Amino acid sequence: MTNSKETLIRIVDLHKSYYDGEAELPVLQGLDFEVNTSEILAVIGASGVGKSTLLHIIGTLDRPTTGSVLYEDQDIFALPDTELARFRNQEIGFVFQFHHLLPEFTALENVAMGALIAAANNKAIYEDAEALLNYVGLSERMSHYPNQLSGGERQRVAIARALINKPKVVLADEPTGNLDRRSSEAILELLWDLNTKSGQTFIIVTHNRELARQVDRVVELVDGKVVL
Amino acid sequence: MKFEWFVASRYLRSRRKQSFISIISIISIVGVALGVATVILVIAVLDGVEEGLKERFLSNEAHVVLRLIDHSFFGNYQNRIAQIETLDDVVAASPVILAQTGVFREHANTIQDVIIIKGIDPEQENKVTGFSDLVQGSTDLKNSELIETARFIRDETITGGIVLGGRLAARFGVVEGDVLRLLVKLEQHPFNESMLVPDLANFVVIGFYESEIEVYDSNFGFIHIDAAQKLYNQKNLVNSIFVRLTDAELATRTASKIEDTAKFSVLEGMPDARTWMEVHAPLFSALRLEKIATVIIEALIILVASFNIASTLIMTVMEKTKDVGTLRTLGASRGNIMRIFMVQGSIIGIFGIMLGTVLGLVICWLLSSNAVRPSYWSLLVLIVPVFLQILITTQRALRYKGGWKFAVSVLWLIGIASALYCIVKPISFVDLGLSQIYQMHQMPIKINWLFVIFINALSLSICWLATLYPAWQAANLKPVEALQHE
Repeated sequence: MTNSKETLIRIVDLHKSYYDGEAELPVLQGLDFEVNTSEILAVIGASGVGKSTLLHIIGTLDRPTTGSVLYEDQDIFALPDTELARFRNQEIGFVFQFHHLLPEFTALENVAMGALIAAANNKAIYEDAEALLNYVGLSERMSHYPNQLSGGERQRVAIARALINKPKVVLADEPTGNLDRRSSEAILELLWDLNTKSGQTFIIVTHNRELARQVDRVVELVDGKVVL
Repeated sequence: MKFEWFVASRYLRSRRKQSFISIISIISIVGVALGVATVILVIAVLDGVEEGLKERFLSNEAHVVLRLIDHSFFGNYQNRIAQIETLDDVVAASPVILAQTGVFREHANTIQDVIIIKGIDPEQENKVTGFSDLVQGSTDLKNSELIETARFIRDETITGGIVLGGRLAARFGVVEGDVLRLLVKLEQHPFNESMLVPDLANFVVIGFYESEIEVYDSNFGFIHIDAAQKLYNQKNLVNSIFVRLTDAELATRTASKIEDTAKFSVLEGMPDARTWMEVHAPLFSALRLEKIATVIIEALIILVASFNIASTLIMTVMEKTKDVGTLRTLGASRGNIMRIFMVQGSIIGIFGIMLGTVLGLVICWLLSSNAVRPSYWSLLVLIVPVFLQILITTQRALRYKGGWKFAVSVLWLIGIASALYCIVKPISFVDLGLSQIYQMHQMPIKINWLFVIFINALSLSICWLATLYPAWQAANLKPVEALQHE
């Protein structure tokens, strides 16, 4: 699916521990791997192994205890908070297992939200958002609120939302985990298609082995370490 | 800020699952509104009273009174007045003798009362205090016809005419043409050394002074300055100079200049120029104190209302925790999140303040408008919205949506507005029997726009401060934890 081998993200000796009072609960214990531009990478592993934690750190939502994450050789955790938010806004798209759409906003507004934060031209933003909703096949649902949409539709809105600022990488945490088989297939098809068409990089956390077979590369986490 | 407004206003409008929060925001809005309306109203009344009193005082009184510190008599006053009148802000100055004396009624041998005598030159005095505008009857203290008549029909010396304070005259039961005897001095009885006999001077009542200020109308008698000089045996001397300025507010500044210009020698004594503000200082400082107290109470009311705003916001933050997480993943910074909730709180505050300002100003207007109001029966207008509301809430007979919602709101607004129009009328001091005390016919209203702006700004800052903590709390939510919040 991809022929480029440029490194987009480099994860260097990444540790993450949680603290319960004095007790240290190590979750990630020295991860080292790379993510290439335009590839689809699956992160698999047993529940509780730290897949989501890893994704949150790559997505700059959480900070590692030690180690670094380099985007195009830039250490992103060296950025100040505001810059980091900006970086997240511009370069990273998220898709979660539970759609996490904002209930007070329509599908269209939810999709536009990421671009509205960056505060550009409103009209252009809504045109982009409409185009994205068309692309995910929801042109009839633009002014519906999340509670008026089905699970599959919500997830498609969430995907459209992740793409609004044309991020370099889309992070997906069990994107089909909450859907029936038919909806899952539709969502995955959408992801593959996106990857082919726009060359976006995807990191997908899943414990769906079938999904893992379809991706470019798999990283398996066992006991907080990478097993290739 | 566009993004923050977009999200905040949506959170405010949203009704889903959080009608409790909406009700609290309405309570907060009403709380802020009541505080603002009350203070605008109370301050308008206090300002009205103050202005009314000032107007009364200033139309009747000199702006500056120059005396010696021991109130003794001084000479050379014509020159001094001429000098004072050359000062920039001075309109006119008038020589005055101010003293107390005992009054004897005709054919009576005991002092009936003690009154304050003001010896004036009517022409000069008119320029300073507008004396003759307030007199009913004659102001010709020297040559009034009444004096001539009295001299003609009575076989006693008539020194001159006197204008008596209206209420004083009523107390004495004297009318125009009656003679009043003023005590000049007490003399030893020629045959009995232990006895004192009063030396009296006769004055004919020629007019009544009606200033509607209690102090003057009940205590003062006005005679000609020449007669006063003769009475007190102070030829060519006076003990006060009354000065009128171009602007009463300049009194403090000009008073010292007047003292200097009068050039009193050390022998004569220390000059003491008192401004009208100093004379009425207790009254005006009481009014000022009331105003300060009102503003403090307003601030407290707004503070209570702002606690409502804060709790509304804290609850919104709790409910929207997951949304905060989502927005953070979409790249909203902590600043963005903080501003969303600050904007939401400020909108509540601004609504309340606008509502309160309008309400306060409308009530002020109604209190000062003398238009005849419809009878209380028109309050029955309120039945319409009340009936509809009952129908909606208890019977669910109407689908409370869109058109009906709007119609019922409009009906409520009309109902409340017309109720206010019927009920709120100017408050008559005459009916309440307070016109004597306040010396005004109805409660005065004066809106100080600068103060309205000040109160708006003060209330807005308090409301805004109340948003800080909840907004800060929202901004400091950890994105990952917020996302997983259920």
